[in-house]
Amino acid sequence: MPKEHANWSPYDNNGGTCVAIAGADYCVIAADTRMSTGYSILTRDYSKICKLKLESLMEKRIRNWLFAYLGVELASQSFRRIKDKCDFQVYLCRFMVWEYLRADKSFMASSGFQADVKALQKVLSSRHLIYQHQHNKQMSCPAMAQLLSNTLYYKRFFPYYAFNVLGGLDSEGKGCVFTYDAVGSYERVGYSAQGSGATLITPFLDNQLKSPSPLLLPAKDAVTPLSEAEAIDLVKTCFSSATERDIYTVSSYILVFSFSYAFALSRGVNESSRDQKINTRLELD
Amino acid sequence: MVNILKYRCLKMPSETMEVPKTGFSFDLCRRNDMLAKKGLKSPSYLKTGTTIVGLIFENGVILGADTRATAGPIVADKNCEKIHYMAPNIYCCGAGTAADTEAVTDNISSQLKLHRYHTGRESRVVTALTLLKSHLFRYQGHVSAALVLGGVDVTGPHLYTIYPHGSTDTLPYATMGSGSLAAMAIFESEYREGLTRDEGVNLVTKAICSGIFNDLGSGSNVDVCVIEKGKKEYLRNHLTPNPRTYVSSRGYTFSKKAEVLLTKITPLKELVEVVEVGGDAMEE
Amino acid sequence: MKLDFGGLESSAPLYGGNDDVLADGFSAAPSFDLPVTSDFDGFQKNSIQMVKPAKGTTTLAFIFKEGVMVAADSRASMGGYISSQSVKKIIEINPYMLGTMAGGAADCQFWHRNLGIKCRLHELANKRRISVTGASKLLANILYSYRGMGLSVGTMIAGWDEKGPGLYYVDSEGGRLKGTKFSVGSGSPYAYGVLDSGYHYDMTIDEAAELARRSIYHATFRDGASGGVASVYHVGPTGWTKLSGDDVGELHYSYYPVEPAIVEQEMTEAVVA
Repeated sequence: MPKEHANWSPYDNNGGTCVAIAGADYCVIAADTRMSTGYSILTRDYSKICKLKLESLMEKRIRNWLFAYLGVELASQSFRRIKDKCDFQVYLCRFMVWEYLRADKSFMASSGFQADVKALQKVLSSRHLIYQHQHNKQMSCPAMAQLLSNTLYYKRFFPYYAFNVLGGLDSEGKGCVFTYDAVGSYERVGYSAQGSGATLITPFLDNQLKSPSPLLLPAKDAVTPLSEAEAIDLVKTCFSSATERDIYTVSSYILVFSFSYAFALSRGVNESSRDQKINTRLELD
Repeated sequence: MVNILKYRCLKMPSETMEVPKTGFSFDLCRRNDMLAKKGLKSPSYLKTGTTIVGLIFENGVILGADTRATAGPIVADKNCEKIHYMAPNIYCCGAGTAADTEAVTDNISSQLKLHRYHTGRESRVVTALTLLKSHLFRYQGHVSAALVLGGVDVTGPHLYTIYPHGSTDTLPYATMGSGSLAAMAIFESEYREGLTRDEGVNLVTKAICSGIFNDLGSGSNVDVCVIEKGKKEYLRNHLTPNPRTYVSSRGYTFSKKAEVLLTKITPLKELVEVVEVGGDAMEE
Repeated sequence: MKLDFGGLESSAPLYGGNDDVLADGFSAAPSFDLPVTSDFDGFQKNSIQMVKPAKGTTTLAFIFKEGVMVAADSRASMGGYISSQSVKKIIEINPYMLGTMAGGAADCQFWHRNLGIKCRLHELANKRRISVTGASKLLANILYSYRGMGLSVGTMIAGWDEKGPGLYYVDSEGGRLKGTKFSVGSGSPYAYGVLDSGYHYDMTIDEAAELARRSIYHATFRDGASGGVASVYHVGPTGWTKLSGDDVGELHYSYYPVEPAIVEQEMTEAVVA
């Protein structure tokens, strides 16, 4: 048995705050980029957000699969060219399906102990990769949510010191946010804050966004009424406020991922309305 | 030592009763030790995880401090004052437990004033130093105050650092608090003898900013105090490098208000008669 | 120490068969990582301090003439902080069986999910639904195998099987009790007070639902760790239905309406002298 130091701990807290807001057809997920320990800053530029992304080979496969099913003869052509040749509606439909299948489905933001967070991200990414090769598709966000829960729970007796929010779009294209404790209890919510500034931000979001509880019967509409731009605005406010009172949160650099696919053809959407903004760095002034 | 005076005035009710002879009461120390061993968390103090600095320039002394006070990870005060008045020609920066630094500087400040009344001369910085260090040494580090003391007296400019246990240093440039290393890095690379006033203020500001940006215990604004022969300048919020980063152009609405169930107002004026009493206000 | 990992295996094995190539800990049967330490209990105590799992609850269930009534609040707290007001503490195991959640949120959620899998596998193997007795015993056996390792579960398994309504209380200390009336959680003494005084077997569904709702309401009124929404479920011969979900704050004003207050004097801005 190795000798143990009296006050040694396998954990550290590297601080940081994560916020996610789900809307009717978008999801905003944001985190600051500072990593610290005690009173020291380890780095000012470390992303807490992990993109659970489409495997590169998969893109080709999906493309082939889609063409095979839809019987498009122009497999090698770019969509821009197909647009010229095809009926607009048909094009739009295929474009949407393609974009939907290709787009990333979920993002995980984690604060806590960086080593545990990194380990967790690696496990989750690997599981996602295996899933894609097994099933020829990406994992949906709710499926990823349960996988994350199980992954956390398998370390119930030696927990990952990581506080996570998972954001993404569900199979209907609606924004979804899942919030976790360190050992894997999880819940689908409309918005969530995790990390050192969570106790400051959550009450503010409760006040600004409080939607009827999903447990109410008769059920009431629980979707965040904000537009995507308003939600991003609110997230920026959250960080600039938390920065003033929490020493582990910084607002000068936050990473905001915001994504949505306008999926309904009936709404008369055009090409530009599918809007996946990722890796948007907001340098607040 | 206000408390000592008070206790001596008291008539003891009986000889057997023990009355503490000095200001602090240590009655509960053993109980608290026992409770701490059993796992009780003592309430958190307001700490000024701090950057405080001082340097000597050609005509005197410049002191500097940040303005953040923390309680754990929470910023308790965004704009507190850490440069305390000791005497008209002496100021003192405090780091450590906020209550301790304030109490100890206030206390010594009044002793200095009494001493001035007694002697009719300007206080000397060494006098303040000796009073502070003997007080801190007596309490063996339990009064957690780390100080940078600076001033100009008949013997010239002086700068001292005082550690919580009572040891002191005499230095041309000094830093203290959790941001001391960050600030010292600036001093070590840029300090030289015979700085002008503006050069000195800029260097102090730069050192404090280094603490503000690199030490999480320090933050907010820069306070500077310049003491010269027969002259002092307290530059409160000399620099504010941390303005609010983002204000939504939309503004904020807070729709849900607490519901008022009952309102009752009792006008006190009808119940009591207010008489203004004349008399001297207490002096500073 | 031998732990029961039954039901934890991935239900979709890798095709290709050669597990060694892709092993990496993902395809192998999952297991619980244990810390390398001589003081397991001390480690648990400290790590629990750091991660602070969600806790604090009032749940209740009782059997009456028309079936089983199950109710719960929806608050989760971590120490003094309310971490959620919308926890689903009544877990729908299958259309005929409900589980309630008290103690560690992750422990309850995970093991109920696991129980759901086992119940479904039982159904597929035996071509009939598992009995409430059987399901509760599956859970109790798992929890017993983890006894002393710090799991915190206080649950009731309520359902309808071939023998009619069934209700069992199962906890992480290894206890499993058959009964007709249980309440679990920090608010349970308050809930029992209302439940015991109002309970009789011959209630209608409406009466029973109201009793359950009131019991939860009164528990949330006195217990700071309970609150949020009072959910009420009924399990009958055709399975469970959710009867109601009410914000306890609004329930309070429906039970005890506030008389419109007479304002004696309007508040006015103080005049600056």
